[in-house]
Amino acid sequence: MSERITIKQIPLEELVITPGSACQGCGAALAARLAFKALGPNTIRHSIPACPDNVTRTPTSGGEFEAGGDHVTGTWRALKALGREDVQVVGFYGDGGVYDIGFQSISGAAIRNENVFIICKNNEAYMNTGGQVSGATPQLAMTTTTPVGPMSRGKPNSRKNTPMIFAMHGVPYVATASVAFPTDLIAKIQYGKGIKGFKFLDILSPCPTGWRFEPNKTIEVARLAVQTGFWPLYEIIDGRKFRLTYKPRELKPVAEYLKLQGRFRHLTEEEIKEIQRDITDYWERLLKLDEIGEILL
Amino acid sequence: MIEIRLHGRGGQGAVTANEILAEAAYYEGKYAQAIPMYGTERRGAPVTAFLRLDEVRVRERDLVHNPDIVVVLDPAIAQRPSILEGLKAGGLVIANYPHPPERFPLGGNFRVTTVDATAIALETLKRPITNTAILGAFSKVTGLVKVESIEKAILHRFPGTLGEMNVKAVRMAFERTPAPIQAVGGVKEKDEEGPLSGSGYGLIRSAAGWRTFRPVWNYEKCTGCRICWIFCPDNAIGWGEERPTVDYRKCKGCGICVNECPTKAVEFKREEI
Repeated sequence: MSERITIKQIPLEELVITPGSACQGCGAALAARLAFKALGPNTIRHSIPACPDNVTRTPTSGGEFEAGGDHVTGTWRALKALGREDVQVVGFYGDGGVYDIGFQSISGAAIRNENVFIICKNNEAYMNTGGQVSGATPQLAMTTTTPVGPMSRGKPNSRKNTPMIFAMHGVPYVATASVAFPTDLIAKIQYGKGIKGFKFLDILSPCPTGWRFEPNKTIEVARLAVQTGFWPLYEIIDGRKFRLTYKPRELKPVAEYLKLQGRFRHLTEEEIKEIQRDITDYWERLLKLDEIGEILL
Repeated sequence: MIEIRLHGRGGQGAVTANEILAEAAYYEGKYAQAIPMYGTERRGAPVTAFLRLDEVRVRERDLVHNPDIVVVLDPAIAQRPSILEGLKAGGLVIANYPHPPERFPLGGNFRVTTVDATAIALETLKRPITNTAILGAFSKVTGLVKVESIEKAILHRFPGTLGEMNVKAVRMAFERTPAPIQAVGGVKEKDEEGPLSGSGYGLIRSAAGWRTFRPVWNYEKCTGCRICWIFCPDNAIGWGEERPTVDYRKCKGCGICVNECPTKAVEFKREEI
């Protein structure tokens, strides 16, 4: 399990070359900066089509949308043949590439337990191409392909629980993180770095442009997502051991989180209550898992 | 045929302004063609859009290379010589700039007028989205499209209060824009910041022109907690000698540091031009 660190223990070394071409207040750019701080310079990075975040000083290559898992697999196998098992192979992909299009290849890499780190900068839609719906988009959120109108209330179905799906592959390490909790994020990557096998980290990275809030609110939104239980922070080891890494005595009402964002502006009180019910229900189940420290499946 | 090029920053609505102008011209029985130019430009990055207006059908389909009129939506971009690229001799520049046209920094064989569209947008929309305000200036100075047609096109696109706020911005700019004068500023030949249009993916360049507001630190209130440093997406805040230092070439002016500072030691000030 990851060890708690403080903000003063976060490495000062920066691996990003800035400014990149990401938007003002981009959550994914911050996710890249934090993640590569923790990964260190001994890293090879792979990208597939996604929003531009921060350019990193590490060796980088780009590949096909659907072949993220194959890409990292090939690199890791080649490094192994060369005897360079000390190098971290990182797939730094968006939620479209991890949750939807690229899922099969990453799932393959997980089943084979390749020694790679898949990090998802999750902004809950295909923001790179104008904000189309993805498997990570939460229920009732407005996107350009699930607009709000007389016949539609936003995305009709709930989001895919991809961290849990990867956990069910039985891989060594799966965790969720948020850019508003940098110490937690960095501790998780530092822990994952030390494990041999497939690692998956899902980072919630708010998108001011696509979620429709002012760029200065990125951290506020990311923090409320965690504090309301909308994005619980946890880690799972070997698909079995479970721990919540953020456990407040009481969750804040989810309305606080929803009301900050234009993509949820159309919600009625009734719909917010429904979302609250779903979240409370899921949170209670996670609390039970946390209590016994295990996923019973 | 009148050819127009618009320069703005992602999020200021250069593409929308372009389409509104085309629609307004269409209401007056003109032929219009609006072309957006998409690279990997993001919110805050320089963007370009092109427009053609004519009394007869427009056959041309290329980007505009030799504009008659250049419209600039952002004061930081207005200072850059690249905006004059290909501008016809005796052409016209309409710029969002906080000072009168006499103080416009670029010179040459063209006429120029300025309006503080950022101030108008902050006053009417409470956000630095300058696209509609600058249209009021466009109508006043060129007379190519009537201000009523622009208002009609805006209300068609944004019905309700949002449209009305934008119409207010258009009228305010229409009143405040002075007549164009011959450009008297100094001639700068080189643009130090690279191209304004085209794909900028992975390009290392300054983000200084992205800002409307600049974060300023009050070190007396700063406790050295490192919160602004850790939350800066663009690594603009460095950490030296137990207090933050800022690199304004990297700062895009998102304001996360202002919002997150627990002692309110960071303040947002409008960028001075």
